[in-house]
Amino acid sequence: MKVSLNTIKQFTKVDLSVDELVHKINQQLGGVEDVIDLGRRYEGAVIARVVKCEKHPNADKLSVCEIDDGSGQLTQVVCGAPNVREGLTVVWLKPGATVPATFNDSEPFVLEPKELRGVVSNGMLASAKELALGDDHSGIVELTDTDLLPGKTLSIGASFAETFGLDDTIIDIENKMFTHRPDLFGQLGVAREIAGIQHKEFKSPDWYKNLPEFAIGEGLELHVENKASDVVPRFMAVAIKDVEVKPSPLWLRCALVAMGSKAINNIVDVTNYIMLLTAQPTHAYDYDKLRGHFLGTRMAQAGEELPLLNGKTYKLDESDIVIVDGEGPVGLAGVMGGGNSEVSSDTKNIVLEVANFDMYAVRKSSMRHGLFTDALTRFNKGQSPLQNPNVINLLMMSIHDVAGGAQASKMFDETTSQHTTQQVTASDEFINARLGLTLQSNEVNSLLQNVEFTISAADGERTFTAPFWRTDIVDPEDIVEEVGRLYGFDKLPRELPKRNTKPAPKNASQVRKQNIREMLAKAGANEVLTYSFVHENTMKKVGQDVEHAFKLSNALSPDLQYYRTSVMSSLLDKVPMNFRASHDAFALYEIGKTHFKGEMDEAEPDVPNEDTHVALVLTSGNKNATGSAYYQARKYLEQLTSLDDVHLQPLSEFDVSTDEWGAQLTSAYAPQRSAVLVKDGQIWGVIGEFSEAVKSAFKLPQATAGFEVHIAMLQTQPGGYRPLSRFPSTWQDISLKVANDVNYSDVYENAKRAAINAAPEVDFEIAPVSIYQSQDDTSHKTITLRVKLTHHSRTLTEKDASAVIEAIASSAGESLQAIVS
Amino acid sequence: MSSSDDIARVRETLLSRYEGLETKADILKSPELKELLAGIRDVEPSERSAYGQAVNALQQELKEKVLSNMHEKSALPSIDVTAPFDINGEKPSLLPSENGTTHPLTQEIATLSDIFYRMGYVVEESREIDDQYHMFEALNFPKGHPARDDYDTFMTVEKDSEGEPFVAPAHTSTMQNRILKKYHANLEKGEAIAAIVPDRVFRNEDLDARHEHTFYQVEGVYVAKGVHAGMLIATLQQFLQEYYGKELEVRVNPFYFPFTEPSFEFALSCPFCEGNDSSCKVCGGEGWVELLGCGMIHPNVLKAADIDPNEYTGFAFGCGIDRLVMMKYQIEDVRHFESAKLDFLRQF
Repeated sequence: MKVSLNTIKQFTKVDLSVDELVHKINQQLGGVEDVIDLGRRYEGAVIARVVKCEKHPNADKLSVCEIDDGSGQLTQVVCGAPNVREGLTVVWLKPGATVPATFNDSEPFVLEPKELRGVVSNGMLASAKELALGDDHSGIVELTDTDLLPGKTLSIGASFAETFGLDDTIIDIENKMFTHRPDLFGQLGVAREIAGIQHKEFKSPDWYKNLPEFAIGEGLELHVENKASDVVPRFMAVAIKDVEVKPSPLWLRCALVAMGSKAINNIVDVTNYIMLLTAQPTHAYDYDKLRGHFLGTRMAQAGEELPLLNGKTYKLDESDIVIVDGEGPVGLAGVMGGGNSEVSSDTKNIVLEVANFDMYAVRKSSMRHGLFTDALTRFNKGQSPLQNPNVINLLMMSIHDVAGGAQASKMFDETTSQHTTQQVTASDEFINARLGLTLQSNEVNSLLQNVEFTISAADGERTFTAPFWRTDIVDPEDIVEEVGRLYGFDKLPRELPKRNTKPAPKNASQVRKQNIREMLAKAGANEVLTYSFVHENTMKKVGQDVEHAFKLSNALSPDLQYYRTSVMSSLLDKVPMNFRASHDAFALYEIGKTHFKGEMDEAEPDVPNEDTHVALVLTSGNKNATGSAYYQARKYLEQLTSLDDVHLQPLSEFDVSTDEWGAQLTSAYAPQRSAVLVKDGQIWGVIGEFSEAVKSAFKLPQATAGFEVHIAMLQTQPGGYRPLSRFPSTWQDISLKVANDVNYSDVYENAKRAAINAAPEVDFEIAPVSIYQSQDDTSHKTITLRVKLTHHSRTLTEKDASAVIEAIASSAGESLQAIVS
Repeated sequence: MSSSDDIARVRETLLSRYEGLETKADILKSPELKELLAGIRDVEPSERSAYGQAVNALQQELKEKVLSNMHEKSALPSIDVTAPFDINGEKPSLLPSENGTTHPLTQEIATLSDIFYRMGYVVEESREIDDQYHMFEALNFPKGHPARDDYDTFMTVEKDSEGEPFVAPAHTSTMQNRILKKYHANLEKGEAIAAIVPDRVFRNEDLDARHEHTFYQVEGVYVAKGVHAGMLIATLQQFLQEYYGKELEVRVNPFYFPFTEPSFEFALSCPFCEGNDSSCKVCGGEGWVELLGCGMIHPNVLKAADIDPNEYTGFAFGCGIDRLVMMKYQIEDVRHFESAKLDFLRQF
């Protein structure tokens, strides 16, 4: 929202310097994004008179002028404009001045005395374009008294900026701050707030505050009907005859440009100016282009087409509100007028419209059509329908001032209901309690009355009536905000809430994740965070089915097409990059969420289920690495959980056709070198090396492996403590030769069971020592286990140990055909 | 003339020849295939596109067969996945402990959680897919409210039970309603609801050194009897002073959020230059750093969780964690956080 300080000063006194004012606006109104000293742009632009004008001796299209700049001496300026002539009052850019239109360029054009075809020109006479006041470059600006605001005079030698109000400071305030304040999209509203935060009383001008009485105009036939009254609370219109469409007086063009708008013609300029002033968008139609002398509203019909002022044609549907004439749409309500009813240079009669539209409906139209205009910015904040009569009255008067004409119909006012001002009741205690203040009633009153609230009191409660332009005062908390802001939030007492000494319980999930992070970091792995979204190609590369993934509908980048169904898909992408950055051996891990379409949250069935996975990928880098990366990954998994009660089921034996989730999780892995993690009969994760297809698709080093496991599988209680025995432990190794297809875990589990059966009173620790295969017999392997025995009430002998070893050997022989070697 | 029958016939021939080939890739060099490919240009223009597609599909099919055969052949032998190490292999080892790191963001989340624990706050986690009720409605953004536009929210194709797309939460305030309900009983016991939610959020933005579509935010919620706006300012000031380990000035500017009233933008005096360096990279020489949005919880938000706004009041804030951490370590590019670059990660 661009605020013109000169315009503000028309409504209220500002005693502060610009810096102080900006500081105060920041603290009490909204964030200032930019402060533009417009006056600097027009330094060196002076009002002058052309005293003499002759043809250039050496150039047909140039004139040599003598100009009077009030200094008493005439100055020679060469001018190429066709309209330059003796007696004109012009804008002269002195040598040393910057051409205003180039002021913000990287290389601004600074004038200096310069020979043009042998004649020295001291500066230049400016066109509207050079003054950054429009696109017109057909001739120089001709100044007359009608270009001035009342009260100003054209005096030779005066500063152009001062005379035309361009000695202005523009304060650009973030729009976001005003989302709930439709009134602050107008200069008048901002002026009121600037008075309020200076603790000054503000009085709205009469034309805004006093309800006007309208004349009964006649001369043009006009019918008005509001058929969409559900979403058009108020629709006012009036016909004006015999206007003269021409460029606006220069003061108006200057004012529009200062506030970030642009000049088009006097009719359109006035409608825009009134909007910038009051925040209420207004529109003018060419009366003679309205078929059937009709103006109204209705919902659009599906498929209806409408050409708008921007030259594009839009296809409408039933949710669009349209302005219509007797035959069809002439405007997209609240967004943009139609090209077919535009005011142009040959327009003679016009219809003025000041309407209100449902903020949600116009926002929806604008979003759907991708159309964003100054009018929409204001309409979608919900303008007050109570200001329409005042605004249309001012509009009529202003049109009369700049374009002549006369009211030619009655004032149509199609309104749905009685619109009322907002009232809120609150006590001083209520207000003070929420701000931590102890303001007296009269202090509260004065803060609010400054910005034109009216206040009545009864029984300790007071009723605050918002002025009619305020649509945001709904709850007593809105009064709290108003008081706090106008008083100054920086003056609130800063004190901490009083609390008891009860400790806040730790979040178990956060603690568990933190433990996992620390364990893996201690094991030399690096935690990464990657996006929750993946590209379709990434999913395909790991062999996943995108049908199971939630899909984003509006992502700016294709890298963010799907919610990932496994964390590993994102991790694999990060391996080659680090490998190339000369990291040979590393392990990356991430704790992240996954989603599987169709699975809903158990506790909250309206939202999708979210699983938290821990995934780790490691590579030993070396291309000729011997040994399987799988076992290293397994070692990492064992840092997080004991595998004693987890069954490692070979992936090759896992039936993916009956488990879509499992299929999605395991698709990247090589079945002959991977396992699914089964605990309590349920699959919780996968560990293994990646398939050749995945390795080649991601360009992974040969020795790469990883795991991904649901965090719930790692939910381990603190390990049970075993008291130390006073008696020494003993141990013995046993080597069991078994067929190659016998799993290690069968040998291990068998040994454990046999040992416990043989000596139930003894504590055992059984650990692998080696797995050996002779070159001469590749169909067998020899597994050596170390069995450590501890007794809590006596010293164990070698005989005790041997008995256990024998029991293991015999059991392994029976059930696994193992031979002790 | 070529026709689709020709393609089918050639396909049969090639598939049966493929089985017998020693070097499977040779199938791609078959003269029949080359002939089909070359013949595309002789087909009538009206049929050329369909014909060309069919020939290309055949070529693609053969390529995939060759590729998957290649993968099969290079596949490593089966291993015993239940074993702790390879046959004749050494016991696997872990990487050196000094290489290991946790992520700077998760480290800082732990740090700030710890500060809030000490201040009596519980810590909650957020979601990565949520419904529009929690993103907007429960926070006093009615359907179609223009303030919804200020959150460049990712939406899914899939719809929730109300027929609205799910969203990727653009703030951790999605948890506010749940927290107010979960800890409602605190109020009856005369205790406060005090919680923070440090978690991942998303905005549909183009990436650059200062903008990430994925980032972290810590939400804070405090509700009790007699809570006022000055307490919000004091609480945040205490937190930030503890986090940066020094005395800091803070200020609030009025702002607009639908879910707080009044709403503030909260700034702190630059913890680095303290306003003394006009070329400071952290504050841009202004001496102030705009850090977060906050405010007194809107009565409608309290009501949506069955809390009487006349009896209880509270405040809420939402602070970008990435920004805090970037300032702490003077990290120049927000994109490093999700880059998984070891050169970055191993510095923390």
